[in-house]
Amino acid sequence: MENFELPVAGLSSVLLIGKNGAGKTTVSLALEVLQKIARGANRVDDVVRPKDLARGRADVPMRFEIEVNLNGQAYKYSIAFEFPPGFKELRVFEENLLADGKPIFTRELAQVHLATTNREQAANFLIDWHRPALPVVQERSPNDPLFIFRQWLARWVILRPIPRSMKGNSEQETLQPSAESMDFGAWFSGLLAYAPASYGTIDGYLKQVLPDIKEIKNPVIGKDSRSLEVQFFNEQGNVTIPFSDLSDGEKCFMICALVLAANTAYGPLVCFWDEPDSHLALSEVGLFIMALRKSFQSGGQFIATSHNPEAIRRFSDENTLVLYRNSHLEPTIIQPLSAFKVKGDLVNALIRGDVEP
Amino acid sequence: MSINRYLPHVLVLPEDDANRELANGFQLDPLLDTRRMQILGVAGGWGNVLDRFREEHIPQMDRYANRFMVLLIDFDDQQDRMTRVRAEIPAHLIDRVFVLGVRTEPENLTRNLGSYETIGKAMAKDCRDNTEVTWTHPLLRHNAGELERLRKHIRPILFSDI
Repeated sequence: MENFELPVAGLSSVLLIGKNGAGKTTVSLALEVLQKIARGANRVDDVVRPKDLARGRADVPMRFEIEVNLNGQAYKYSIAFEFPPGFKELRVFEENLLADGKPIFTRELAQVHLATTNREQAANFLIDWHRPALPVVQERSPNDPLFIFRQWLARWVILRPIPRSMKGNSEQETLQPSAESMDFGAWFSGLLAYAPASYGTIDGYLKQVLPDIKEIKNPVIGKDSRSLEVQFFNEQGNVTIPFSDLSDGEKCFMICALVLAANTAYGPLVCFWDEPDSHLALSEVGLFIMALRKSFQSGGQFIATSHNPEAIRRFSDENTLVLYRNSHLEPTIIQPLSAFKVKGDLVNALIRGDVEP
Repeated sequence: MSINRYLPHVLVLPEDDANRELANGFQLDPLLDTRRMQILGVAGGWGNVLDRFREEHIPQMDRYANRFMVLLIDFDDQQDRMTRVRAEIPAHLIDRVFVLGVRTEPENLTRNLGSYETIGKAMAKDCRDNTEVTWTHPLLRHNAGELERLRKHIRPILFSDI
């Protein structure tokens, strides 16, 4: 990607479409760079590596920027990496966080400058140039704009789940699930510990998609360790199934339930879900997408990628973005679907490969 | 589970993508029961809506007594189109089939009322709240009769919690 901007401002839900290799998943990986920094990445090498430089061009810096409005305050964070000759990993050469245009901190290479606030004097300190400053700078209180922004960014939910590998076991709690959802059990535990009423949202959604579900249990199975199990019932009786034995699609319902509950409990969230329809029955896809789109109307942002006709039909021109590139030697370009003036049925146009400039 | 065919539910058959997006907006109403409404693939023209209705949906409506259908078509300023469409609906299904659409083409609506999803949401709100803000637009007000039926039969299905 080069000079790539994701134009999602003002949209509560967005669909990214495009051919294989157009760059849809790469968008999630780029967003994950910012998320990992906010989650406390210790080293630049944990988030970007020299191989990530566009076509290996070490003379061009790699820059990430994000702008967001939170609680009426406009935040802008940017971080740029470079790969000087002789280095084995990239280093930060510039990093800034601004709120309403005023710097919270600025950084050039190892030198970090904390701006003056109402209560604090300006300060300078040095930091290893292989470490991002965002997770290191100490907030003054939970109302500190630095804390608000960092927590919001750290709580992004970026999903590329591998249901077959989701076991439902946990030894700790988290509100920051991994992209592959291998820590689903820890997310479930963390969400209910943070907001016990979330179980109502989870239960309400799951009863719509799995009418015979009775409850989800999370019993202790060893020292500091739990394992999710799901109880179903009908007039013939009850059956309890370990979470790991649920089908791939059923596990996706579980993830969806947690996304809906998390957005209510500690949102507004940004949720990026790469192909959320992958394991779902055709009769479920549209309803699944609509449940997510509807939830994020009242706050947060839901971004999905898809090749599924039914998922694509549940979005509209105004919230569908098309990614394309002419070859692997050229950068990804993104444009709103409305720019393509598709005639007739969109899905048929996609099948024909006609949605191109 | 998908839509329960044995409980009252509504299938929406849109003529084209513009009507599909109107339906998307309608389904996004925060108080609408998402699992009582399924938007079908676009038919590609009002004639195809009728063909699909005849071939696929009449037999299935006979099978599922709680199935209701909304046919979303463009009237293209053709005053006899409603008559022609309704003539294709078997008498025993007439209470479960609704024909709605823009007097000309949906594209003309967006100039005044915003995107299709925005218009669809406003139409749902009108239907939900028994108001007529959007439905009285010159390109929509010819639907008054169908809207009245819609409120009587479809509103309780889609907005059952109100």
